[in-house]
Amino acid sequence: MNNEMMGGLHRRDFMKLGAMGVGGVSASGWMNVLAGHAAETQAKHKSCILLYMSGGPSHKDTFDLKPDSDGAGEFKPIATNVSGIQISEHFPKFAKWMHKSALLRGMSTGEGAHTRASYFLHTGYKEGQGGLTYPSLGAIASMETGNPLLPIPNFVTINGGRSYGSGYLGSKHQPLNIADASKGVANLGALVGDNQFNSRVSLLNEMEKAFLKDYSSEAGAAHQTTYQRAVTMMKSAQAKAFDISGEPANLRSEYGSGKFGEGCLLARRLVETGVRFVEVNLGGWDTHENNFERVKTLSAQVDAGMSTLISDLNQRGLLDSTLIVWMGDFGRTPKINQRGTKPGRDHYPKAWTSVMVGGGIKGGQVIGKTDKQGATVEERPINTIDFMSTACSVLGIDYTKQVQTPIGRPIRIVEKGANPIKELLA
Amino acid sequence: MLNQKSIASKLLVLALGFAIIEIADAATPDEKDTKPQSKQEKRQEKKLAKTSANPLAAKPLLTSKVLSAMIDAEISKKIKEEKVTPSAKSTDAEFQRRAYLDIIGRIPTSVETRAFLENTTPDKRVKLVDDLLADDEFGKHMADIWQALLLPRISDNRRVQTEPLTLWLEKHFNVNTGWDQITKELLTSTGPQDENGSITYFISNASVDKMTDSVSKLFLGVQLQCAQCHNHPFVDWKQNDYWGLAAFFMKVQAKPPGGKDTSSPTVTEGKGLNKNKKTLPEAAKFVPAKFLASGEATLNTAEPYRPVLANWLTSKTNPFFSKAMVNRVWAQYFGKGLVDPVDDMHDGNPATHPELLETLATQFSASNFDLKFLIRSICNSETYQRSSKPNASNKETDIALLARMPIKNMTPEQLFDSLATVLGAASKADQKLDKVKAGKNLPKGARAQFVTFFQPEEGTSALSYETGIPQILRLMNSPQMNSAVIIQRLVDKNADTKTSIEKVYLSVLNRMPTDEEASRMTNFLSQATDKNKGLGDMLWVLLNTSEFTLNH
Repeated sequence: MNNEMMGGLHRRDFMKLGAMGVGGVSASGWMNVLAGHAAETQAKHKSCILLYMSGGPSHKDTFDLKPDSDGAGEFKPIATNVSGIQISEHFPKFAKWMHKSALLRGMSTGEGAHTRASYFLHTGYKEGQGGLTYPSLGAIASMETGNPLLPIPNFVTINGGRSYGSGYLGSKHQPLNIADASKGVANLGALVGDNQFNSRVSLLNEMEKAFLKDYSSEAGAAHQTTYQRAVTMMKSAQAKAFDISGEPANLRSEYGSGKFGEGCLLARRLVETGVRFVEVNLGGWDTHENNFERVKTLSAQVDAGMSTLISDLNQRGLLDSTLIVWMGDFGRTPKINQRGTKPGRDHYPKAWTSVMVGGGIKGGQVIGKTDKQGATVEERPINTIDFMSTACSVLGIDYTKQVQTPIGRPIRIVEKGANPIKELLA
Repeated sequence: MLNQKSIASKLLVLALGFAIIEIADAATPDEKDTKPQSKQEKRQEKKLAKTSANPLAAKPLLTSKVLSAMIDAEISKKIKEEKVTPSAKSTDAEFQRRAYLDIIGRIPTSVETRAFLENTTPDKRVKLVDDLLADDEFGKHMADIWQALLLPRISDNRRVQTEPLTLWLEKHFNVNTGWDQITKELLTSTGPQDENGSITYFISNASVDKMTDSVSKLFLGVQLQCAQCHNHPFVDWKQNDYWGLAAFFMKVQAKPPGGKDTSSPTVTEGKGLNKNKKTLPEAAKFVPAKFLASGEATLNTAEPYRPVLANWLTSKTNPFFSKAMVNRVWAQYFGKGLVDPVDDMHDGNPATHPELLETLATQFSASNFDLKFLIRSICNSETYQRSSKPNASNKETDIALLARMPIKNMTPEQLFDSLATVLGAASKADQKLDKVKAGKNLPKGARAQFVTFFQPEEGTSALSYETGIPQILRLMNSPQMNSAVIIQRLVDKNADTKTSIEKVYLSVLNRMPTDEEASRMTNFLSQATDKNKGLGDMLWVLLNTSEFTLNH
């Protein structure tokens, strides 16, 4: 990092502290705690790796087992390195990192259709609400904590899935999507020499300037911005982070050879380079049928990828500044359905579990509790905006801030009424 | 424009790749399908005729020219109210490029561009619209648009072959089958896919709720999906509206592709209710079949239900059907519907120009849902022919006022076909690739791969640019965009600098360079070590401009 970059960061930090500090009015003591926490962490911005489980993992077969319930399922609970906390037998590696992790067993999010649920959990707003397209948490992090001088995007998504984009925040905070971590970014290098490429780009800039002067439009401006971002990235040293091929073979095998493991490894490289938000997708959790075989296979991928990610970040001193979030669309029905010879579980947003690791949170705890069947949240329910406000708080983002949409409409980062989980903040 | 020979060879390619479809012999609009009606359908029509206090019924059909004038009157009225000065009329070059992209889905070739710009007949724009509507590429472009709408891009559909539907749509759009007939056939389709491409719609929406969502969005312009589980929070849709509409699909049996049975996917409508649990969500409710916002339907369990729905849906007295399509076509041409989003029409979300929507809907229905009539009326309007170049008065105004033409993004298909128009022979290789692989599952050749890669997320507005860095990297750095051969093919090697520059401009931006540009480019070329390399660079630059990528 050069001095200019650091200077930029300091100024931004200073401005943020000013906004939150002396002159600020706090609604409650709790706000002070948050503000104080945010202030402490400003010195070192936090990154986030979201491990998104498309389809919705069964909570009763992963992190909230109910061995004595109806529809308990086939899996046995195992102990973790924190006494009293048990998880599925298919997460033996992760069990050793429980002291750095929190299980949020009170998730209760209301949306039971994949697209709508996933949209809601990524943005904190319901799809179509108020006729706007809302930014995903990654785009919010890019805007609020991202280093504007980083030549690669501050928001990267790996393995497809629907991460949702930057919505009204515009193309500057759009995610860079990487379809296959082992291949990195396709077409990253120019096919002509530097001089020739530069002369093309400078002619292109002249053309763009002239066209946009006459035909000013949102689309044209976004086209120009995106080209500039792409060219900057091509020329940057940081773009080497996208190449995982140089990583040692033993580490690669620890992460797992599948696309998810490779995605986790790439996520670590990107965070190390300064990317603020990386989302790694793992699909296949929509287990209406054949739930147990499928969850077992998927759990093995998560156990290898996520646990190695935690230990790798930890070794590099990055775990406390990187929040890992594991979550899916929703949970799955407490009872096992009657479909076919290999039954499964259906969508269930009423009670489920998500996981947070690192990021300086207080680990080794379970927050929220479901009833004996895993069907209803009995303690500390966490709805979508509670969850969003918590993630924002950990990352040092003021979730009460109002952002202007392009037409000047003020929208809060997280809607009013959110109740962040203060027990998480160390 | 395509000549007879190239049309014939195109058809041959299509026919070889898939089931043989006799496009040439397809019915003309006058000979529309006249299937014998069942008693039930006749009963229903009588009932509809009686209850029609609907303003849509029985309005005289205006000429397309008068309808264009009515569009302009309604749009101008609001512009005047806002005291805004509209942009000037588009130049011929602006108009031609826009009309090509909007009507047939690609930019014109340099030859077509030159011919139009040099044409001095006063009614050449009217003539161009007619020619484009008569071109087979019209049907192909419409089929691209509707195939994407009818077949959701979800993992369940990864094995579904889309070509049979695309070809079916292409044929009907080209012979200008009425939208009511197209809809009716889509909704009542039965049989195996290799005989009837329209069943692909059901195969790809293979559950009662998906079908209900799709039909209400696409053909009624309303979003009912919230009412699947609860009464809609801010629109007057009740759960009974949803399940009342869903009731019409309860007897449909779809055999999707995949599995041990390798016969063609098939759709049938049996006598009994479909018992397959996969086709019904757990929250399914069983209520009597009901026409949306209208009465209950009288169904005979011995007869198929879907024709009863199709007759009501496509009837001229249906308050939703005509409006829904008119609004979609409007959005296709102006980037945004009169009601936006296009499939969210309800009292709380009024049209920007309610009377215009009413007029267009009435006329569309009076024309027997003649799509070419509707499109011709739009394209010949002053509103459509306005420049997208803003002036001091209108640059800050809401784009929906249409005081200037909105600038739209190209769809991935438009972008591919436009690139292919410039890069020439590339498209031949792609056709070959498509042909070879058409019998297999994905991927289906370069065009399909390109489209998948450039596809914006569902529901993305045509007015907002969502192309990401990976796509731009491909446009800048793929071998196809850097091939030295292309420029040699495009520009005559003996041509002088001025002619060469003009040729590249006409090919890519479909206009002549301005004097300033001509001298800038001459200067640029003079610095190049060799002429072809310089021209190649210039081609690369023009292909990567906003001006090429956007439909302005």
